[in-house]
Amino acid sequence: MAPQETSPDGTRRRPHRVYREGAEPDPRFTLANERTFLAWLRTSLALMAGGVGIEALNAVAPGASNPARTALAVLLLGGGVVCSATAFTRWAATERALRTGQPLPAPKLAPVLGYALTAVGVAACALLLITGS
Amino acid sequence: MRSEAENPWDIGLQNERTTLAWSRTALSFVVGGLVVVRFIAHSSTTLAIVFAAVTLPLAVVITWLAWRRYRRGQHRLHGRSPLPDGALPGAVAALAVLVGIIGIVYVLLS
Repeated sequence: MAPQETSPDGTRRRPHRVYREGAEPDPRFTLANERTFLAWLRTSLALMAGGVGIEALNAVAPGASNPARTALAVLLLGGGVVCSATAFTRWAATERALRTGQPLPAPKLAPVLGYALTAVGVAACALLLITGS
Repeated sequence: MRSEAENPWDIGLQNERTTLAWSRTALSFVVGGLVVVRFIAHSSTTLAIVFAAVTLPLAVVITWLAWRRYRRGQHRLHGRSPLPDGALPGAVAALAVLVGIIGIVYVLLS
């Protein structure tokens, strides 16, 4: 069966690299893939909110802004950017795999995120004990 | 006879669950936006209001597009035609990346 590259309304389905080959998968898998993408997106938004929260301490704490806090904030914001970009590329790779019957891509980012968040948590604790805020 | 809109395509309610996941994501945008607004308000009330005026309607737009996606998905599942494409996920992920980059620039400059 030829891949369905256009929607019923005649527009081309985007991104084209996902839809140009393979057959329509079970719609339940497509919807599950979409929910996984959204869960990663929420994770990335939570990371960014954490980064902004840490940076906000620099604005309210007495004295000069602490560069360690800024570094932690940038790290969390950068992690959020990586997570949201990867969320979409992984969605696309998974959708392609579902369409072509290939194995799903491995969750490479999940363990990295786990270790990185542990490190961030330890760093935040150290910061709290050293500066008191 | 029940209409196509109220008759679910599968008993797992996949389309509904996916739309609720979209709603949660839009709400995360709202919460994140409010955190940033509170943060900016420390230095400039005007900037905070401008930021809120740009981001909060975006969350409403995402929610509206997600419900349109739900209706189309429901219609196409019953008609056995392909589901809506990856344009909305791509656009929302790009928005999140943009928000993060703006955040990094703001933190480094302030």
